[in-house]
Amino acid sequence: MKLNKRYARSIKTDLSFYVSATVLTMVTLLMFYLFYIAGTGINKYGDDFFSKYKREDATFSTYAEIPDEKLSALETKYGVTLEKERFAATDEGDYRVRVFSPNEKIDLYEIQDGHAPEKDDEIIISAGYAAENNVKVGDRLKVNGKEYSVAGTFLRPDYLYMVENLTDDYKNVTTFFLAYMTPEEFKDSFGGGSINYKVIYGDDTDQVAFRKEINENYYMASYLSADSNMRITFVHEQADMFIMSSWFILVIFPLVTVALICILLGRRIRAEQKLIGTLSAMGYEKTKLMRHYSLFAAIPGVIGGLLTSVCALILSGPFGSLGLADYEPMKPQFTLPVWVAAAGVVVPTLIYWTAAMLRVRKLLKEDVVKLLAGQVGNDAKSRRILTRSKKKVGFKYAIRQLVGNPGRSFVIFLGIFLGAMITAFGYSFIDSVKAVGEQAHGEFGTFRYEYVLNTLEKGAPDGGEAMLILPFEDGDMRRFSLIGLDGDATLWNLKTTDGGKADIESGFYISTLCEAICGVHKGDEFTFRSIATLEEHTVKIDGVIRNGYQNYIVSSREKIAGIAGLDKENYNAILSSSSLDLEKDRVSETITDKSFETQMQNMLNAMSGLIYAFIGIGMIVCVASLYATVNTMLSENRHNISMLKVLGFENGRIHSMIISSNHLLLLPGIALGIAAAYGIMAWYCARFVEIEKLMIPATLKPFSIILTAVFTAVCYFASLLLLRRKVDKTNMVEALKDGRE
Amino acid sequence: MFIEVKSAKKQYGTGEAAVYALDGADLSIEKGKICVILGPSGSGKSTLLNMIGGLDSLDAGEITVDGQKITGLSKKELTAYRKQSVGFVFQFYNLIPDLTVEENVEVVAEIAEKPLYTDEILKALDIEKYRYRFPRELSGGQQQRVAIARAMVKNPKLLLCDELTGALDTRSSRSVLKFIEKVNAQYGTTTLIITHNEGIAGIADVVVRIRDGKIASYTENDHKLTADELEL
Ligand SMILES: Nc1ncnc2c1ncn2[C@@H]1O[C@H](COP(=O)(O)OP(=O)(O)O)[C@@H](O)[C@H]1O
Ligand SMILES: [Mg+2]
Repeated sequence: MKLNKRYARSIKTDLSFYVSATVLTMVTLLMFYLFYIAGTGINKYGDDFFSKYKREDATFSTYAEIPDEKLSALETKYGVTLEKERFAATDEGDYRVRVFSPNEKIDLYEIQDGHAPEKDDEIIISAGYAAENNVKVGDRLKVNGKEYSVAGTFLRPDYLYMVENLTDDYKNVTTFFLAYMTPEEFKDSFGGGSINYKVIYGDDTDQVAFRKEINENYYMASYLSADSNMRITFVHEQADMFIMSSWFILVIFPLVTVALICILLGRRIRAEQKLIGTLSAMGYEKTKLMRHYSLFAAIPGVIGGLLTSVCALILSGPFGSLGLADYEPMKPQFTLPVWVAAAGVVVPTLIYWTAAMLRVRKLLKEDVVKLLAGQVGNDAKSRRILTRSKKKVGFKYAIRQLVGNPGRSFVIFLGIFLGAMITAFGYSFIDSVKAVGEQAHGEFGTFRYEYVLNTLEKGAPDGGEAMLILPFEDGDMRRFSLIGLDGDATLWNLKTTDGGKADIESGFYISTLCEAICGVHKGDEFTFRSIATLEEHTVKIDGVIRNGYQNYIVSSREKIAGIAGLDKENYNAILSSSSLDLEKDRVSETITDKSFETQMQNMLNAMSGLIYAFIGIGMIVCVASLYATVNTMLSENRHNISMLKVLGFENGRIHSMIISSNHLLLLPGIALGIAAAYGIMAWYCARFVEIEKLMIPATLKPFSIILTAVFTAVCYFASLLLLRRKVDKTNMVEALKDGRE
Repeated sequence: MFIEVKSAKKQYGTGEAAVYALDGADLSIEKGKICVILGPSGSGKSTLLNMIGGLDSLDAGEITVDGQKITGLSKKELTAYRKQSVGFVFQFYNLIPDLTVEENVEVVAEIAEKPLYTDEILKALDIEKYRYRFPRELSGGQQQRVAIARAMVKNPKLLLCDELTGALDTRSSRSVLKFIEKVNAQYGTTTLIITHNEGIAGIADVVVRIRDGKIASYTENDHKLTADELEL
């Protein structure tokens, strides 16, 4: 007998099993590739772009301007590259622009479209805004009251993630952009403009000495290293998150799929025990038999792996681009390394192969007589339950099917569980981001406007409440703000987590976000240093204020001024419950209570494609695994189905009797899937604090739970319904011909 | 006549490969009788039985059972017909392995219109003592008795047995046939038994022989034997 002839026939009869096993393999591999390609592509692009366009190591500003000749002296003394960057901010009503005079040494721009500005009336603008607002080369834009022609679009290394203000939590490409004009035009429009210094350190630069010298001679006003600059760190952090997710997916999901397919394969092989017994009795070598069944098993791995690899190789561009939503329109080369693609074929194939081989080997160890009688695995003790119960026969049958086939029940459960989990995770993401917006209101306080001033001021704060807000960093350079308020301040949220009100006159209070980022808690001594002077201070934390969005420690204005070495009358921000009419050049930034929610909404919009793709994948996993399993289940019950038909059972009744055991798994599967999704979301949110400096409360609303349950149930019943025809198609006479069960 | 088969034709395959499983078979059987149908393998016995039992439909001809025309019924109507009127027993017992003896009978009683009491039928086939056992824990003969009980519990008009002793030894065969006799006497169920074992013919009221899809002979049995007297 030529065993090989069986391949085509066997695959044809079991087509739906092979199709669903292949689909499952593909879906899981695809998810892995998607995240892997995006992550590695972005990382590579980031590294290349950073080095090609001379990304800064730090940005700082000083109260006194550093003369140009001193810059080159400092460069030689400390082995650094140092450049003065001139910029200006303008507000055109509908949008705000940060205009630069081009640099020569650090943070250079790359033209995306068009060309660099050559004439006085030409500007180039950041590419993200141009794409979002459909601004084309040749369009005209008003900047600083004058009309310019857009000559081109650009990217620059310290703005690949377009955060408008560093206190923001999400990019803004809708109402904010960067622009360059010619140096002459910049000078005519803005004079000297504002100044930032950009620095690239040498390998053996003494950074602390360098910063101290700058502070002693020119008074450091702000200092931000690239490591704590969200606009820069985000590039690698999000990419790393993608890569981490991809390994997570590779470990969790295919394992689950593999378990599922192995169990199903095992059952199919067991169902062929009579043939295996016969062949073995005829003197067929064991290795040949094992190879024969392993080849069957390898099919979903090879086909699924190959299709996915080819798919991923061809589509790596669009794939990777799914991960670009948050960035400026970068153009990374998304490629799938051949070894990863090869692994995608080899790994699942090998696992299925081995599983089938072990299964056949185990069977071959059984008594040949038992195999021939088809009795191996038929004597499970657990099926003997409820024999004396007076319950309906259908119910007893369902229960015995469930406990008598733990592997199969597990797979059905897994399908439901995974479907519910992935779907719930998608919804939970949406809910959590929305919850940020909703909760933020209460946690910020009751002010509607926060005006950040250009300089330190004294005197009455023009009808608002005075606030002193200064940047500090902890020993590991993690930044936060020190905030000083007056004792009678009412607009800032000062409710502590204990339910009391923060007594800022006598103590220091930390926001929950700062607590999470810096790892200090109530009662701890916390040592931090000024970003300017690097002078160290230690305070005791007296309490925690619930605020997952702002990273600060708050105390009285007097105490904070003392730490910073300022006059206790000084303030540099004004909180107000109504719009204040402040002179334009006094204000560097206006934060309204709406801007936060807008950022969250933008984040949701940018990610919604990915989220819905995720939910779609959840449903495919659910349907494919249920379909594969229930299909196996019906094949195994061929004899029962035909006998029930002969006995005059209607097709619908037969179908529900055979599959009803699965219904018992539906609710637990959904419930545990939702719980797991919430768990993963909580873990994800914890990671999010580090990357986005934002605490997202892991949330899953009742409505989302209902939606998840409904979707999963629909998938469940849909896959069962798809298999109804299998009962209709079972031929009574044929099935009963081929012998005993 | 209770069962009326008129020029029944059934063809499998087409062209060169065509096989006439039934080639114009005519047959009538009275109510309550035991009819043994004999014939070599492949002569069309099972096909005839399946047609009468509503498992499949004829290409041509007509079958009536108890005045109801079976030919031309829809699939749904055939299902209802089987549910109400027909009990099947096969060579391989085809019990549901995950159900106990009692449950295998009960599950049919649950859908039947006027079922017999499960206890009664279990007692009639002397399998009460095995009621909580699973099929795999029974011998072939015992399983076949369960299959008869399952067929009978719906109190059918017709009991159709296809090679019901084909997989059994002489002793078990005799015992199974004894119960067929008993059931026929107790409930008056018209019974058709297909076999290629000439020895069984003794218990029949009517013996029919089939050859090449046609009825070759029809004999009323004047010397009916009991199962114990059969020479198997
Ligand atoms: N489903 C089928 N497809 C093709 N041929 C069939 C089918 N069923 C029966 N036959 C053929 O019809 C003939 C009669 O079969 P059957 O009624 O089973 O005979 P018996 O039961 O007397 O052995 C045989 O030649 C058999 O091969
Ligand atoms: Mg036959």
